[in-house]
Amino acid sequence: MLTNNSPPPCPLPIALETLQSVLSSLLPAHADDGDLYIEHSTSESLALEEGRVKHVSASTHQGMGARVIKGESAGHAFTDCFDHGALMQAGKSARAIAESGSSIAPVSIHSGKPTTSLYQAVNPSDGVDFLQRKTLLEELDALARSLDPRVLQVFANVSSSFSDIHIIRMDGCHIHDARPLVRLNISVVVEQNGKRETGSAGGGGRFALSRLTAGDQAKRLVREAVRLALLNLDAHDTPAGSMPVVLGPGWPGILLHEAIGHGLEGDFNRKGSSVFADKMGQRVAAKGITVVDDGTIPERRGSLSVDDEGTATNRTVLIEDGILTGYLMDKQNARLMGMQATGNGRRESYAHPVLPRMTNTFMLAGNDNPDDIIASLDRGIYAVNFGGGQVDITSGKFVFTTSEAYYVENGKIQYPVKGATLIGAGHEVLQKVSMIGNDLELDPGVGTCGKGGQSVPVGVGLPTIRIDDLTVGGTET
Amino acid sequence: MSLTINSIADQSSQLIEAAKQYGAIHVDALAVCDTGDSISIRNGQVESVEREDAQGIGLRAFVESPAGGLAFATASSSDVSESGLKKLAKQVVAMARISEPDPDAVPPVGANHPGMDELKAWQAKHNRSDAGWNLELAKAAALECEQLARDYSSLISNSEGADACFGNSSVAYASSDGFFAEYAKASASLSVSVIAGTGEHMQRDYAWHRAFHADDLHSPQTIAEEAASRATARLNPGSMESGESMIIFEPRTATSLLGHLVGAINGRSVLQQRSFLADSLNQSIFPDFINIEDHPDHPDGLGNRLFDGEGTRCTLNNIISDGKLNTFLADRYVAKRLGQAETGSASRGLTGDIGIGSSNLIWQPGNSTQADMISSIGHGVLITELIGFGVNAVTGDYSRGAGGFLINDGKISHPVQGITIAGNLKDMFANIELIGSDLTWFGSSAVPSIAISGMTIAGE
Repeated sequence: MLTNNSPPPCPLPIALETLQSVLSSLLPAHADDGDLYIEHSTSESLALEEGRVKHVSASTHQGMGARVIKGESAGHAFTDCFDHGALMQAGKSARAIAESGSSIAPVSIHSGKPTTSLYQAVNPSDGVDFLQRKTLLEELDALARSLDPRVLQVFANVSSSFSDIHIIRMDGCHIHDARPLVRLNISVVVEQNGKRETGSAGGGGRFALSRLTAGDQAKRLVREAVRLALLNLDAHDTPAGSMPVVLGPGWPGILLHEAIGHGLEGDFNRKGSSVFADKMGQRVAAKGITVVDDGTIPERRGSLSVDDEGTATNRTVLIEDGILTGYLMDKQNARLMGMQATGNGRRESYAHPVLPRMTNTFMLAGNDNPDDIIASLDRGIYAVNFGGGQVDITSGKFVFTTSEAYYVENGKIQYPVKGATLIGAGHEVLQKVSMIGNDLELDPGVGTCGKGGQSVPVGVGLPTIRIDDLTVGGTET
Repeated sequence: MSLTINSIADQSSQLIEAAKQYGAIHVDALAVCDTGDSISIRNGQVESVEREDAQGIGLRAFVESPAGGLAFATASSSDVSESGLKKLAKQVVAMARISEPDPDAVPPVGANHPGMDELKAWQAKHNRSDAGWNLELAKAAALECEQLARDYSSLISNSEGADACFGNSSVAYASSDGFFAEYAKASASLSVSVIAGTGEHMQRDYAWHRAFHADDLHSPQTIAEEAASRATARLNPGSMESGESMIIFEPRTATSLLGHLVGAINGRSVLQQRSFLADSLNQSIFPDFINIEDHPDHPDGLGNRLFDGEGTRCTLNNIISDGKLNTFLADRYVAKRLGQAETGSASRGLTGDIGIGSSNLIWQPGNSTQADMISSIGHGVLITELIGFGVNAVTGDYSRGAGGFLINDGKISHPVQGITIAGNLKDMFANIELIGSDLTWFGSSAVPSIAISGMTIAGE
């Protein structure tokens, strides 16, 4: 639900006077920036296996991160303990990067300007008690087993979390965000003539759990997981070598995340360690390709009302008609590069430093009919679903691994092929895109991005595209 | 209230008592308090200083189901105030009541706990509460390491910085059968990452080492030279033709094979039929010169432990001897279900359910140097880098991005990049031709170079 109201005022879990004294003692007068980040998060998870919901768990995380920034240097300290002594010690440790000097004048903490909230500020598990969640998982298990006798094992997991975030900036400005996140995952193992295969499907976002438990969405995920597992039973060996590849819409957008998204993050470009560092304004993709990072889509898994520095999120155009136009920026890297923060400063939790990160990264639709794109393949791979991916932002080499793919000959889909890794170079691959479908889709809400040991939820999206040449890591030569 | 090693015993027993009052029959708890410091240096300047002060308690409670049998749930919190602990105890019992009973559930009592004397002897032997660094010493090491790496060659064009980290951790485990044990761990690490070349021809590489004590770390010079020489050696890579090839995994990449093995012999994955080795117990899955052990008390291993996440005493597990798979890794529940001996492999963090993991994994080395291996295979690829996650745990199908060096006429020729290597782990394990004498430790695992035949390369 999109509202124009800020979340209801939430009381700070720490006394205002304490925070004011931590802030004042934290920040030397010549600091460029600094803030306090106070978090209280709860999460709950139920998991079914072997027909039983026997893994039920919950966790509560609370703590404060204190940060001081001076030039290219940053001091961070994290504590789980909310007593005065521990908080003051955290402030002192974070200040260690700055030379001694006078502190800023005492500031008073005051509410920041309300921002547009992209999700409801309520715990997403409210209204769906543990028993209802358990019943749902049992129904999904029964459904999976009823769909095909070859279904051997069913794993179903429903999880939800609610994070209450308070950011107190150097000037005392207090920004609050309350972030719901839910996720449902189904995975099955099937067996035929002693051969086993697996398939999985998931979905979620920043909305109430009741959305996932009501209606047909959960059942669709079960059908999808079973379909994929059975399909893979018949998968042939994948060809090995360089060939044209057509990517289906939605989650295959992981291509963008790996091939260009990470390479456009501000820290790598300020430091010159990204292959894209000197390419602003240059052609990095074929004409017709526009790629955006958009953190403002209501209720998406990768969306945030404000980033973890309190900057409102944005729709940032990274590539416009094939030309590199934008980087993803947190405040520190933006300041050092003389650019604007784009609302991409994110941290996994109070116990992690802020890094420039993606939100929802996708390519805008083109004009081609998806069927024509598949039909254009003389001999190649049509890949519709993927597992994970990874990139080396310095050499630009990236990989992503198929979980549903087909061998295509003479424009016709021939048979499914086994999971294979596709490898390319980020600064080259989008220049080899020759067709762009009119069928942009966003992923179902399953992406998690890892960087510097931190995981954050993200989204991706893609229309069907044709890449003229990509290396396919099969076993068939 | 905060958690200190002195208060852990009290807080754990308070928590166990509270859970029992709410109706739990059996309870166990794990408490952790960590402090850590790290400093990053880039281009000779301090890039960041970090200080961590973390604490938390995880609780597992078993209740008797009205229908019979035991059901359980787990919960954790970093709020260790009296009211926070009470809330945690109440929450976990309420959750256990909705959890489904399992006829094979094993309560955390009656485990093969180590005795008091063993505990004391262990604590005396593994007295690790200080990593031997303060921020100034760590800063000096990082500065030196980064400077040496940047100065290594004129081809080094940029730096991603050097990190020096140190910290200690206090861990306590308590269960409602009266077992209580605590121990302290400390470690220090030093790493550096540099870039060679410019523009579209940049190559990055790194080196890293971690030890119980800063005095045991590789020198800043050793780490700097490893990172910088690797980055420069990667410059100007080519591709190669697709086809079948002999492959040598150097220790840095061979360690991932050890990871795939441990994932596949995880007893829970075996029970769930999600492992390509589920039906391979007592079979020869490697050639007969392969021996792999899970060693809980090794002088070089950072994974040493006296007891596992359920308080079970850890013993040496000969996972693979003469190529044969001897055991799956099991906690008490999995051991009961699989009808095998416990292996002391319960691994437990504060959050989530108990998992299964190894202590120190050691792949016993062979007699050939890596150079001998290269010369004896003649043609193939030395794999120094793997990226991506293309491994299917159920089937063993394997396809990953890779980089390394072409081997021609028994010698290293030029660097290759942008290739994939593919096969099936079962075949890869069976097709190991040679293992090196270059046993290398990576924290809690140690592995030599490994040569495998019959894998497929995809390149041009």
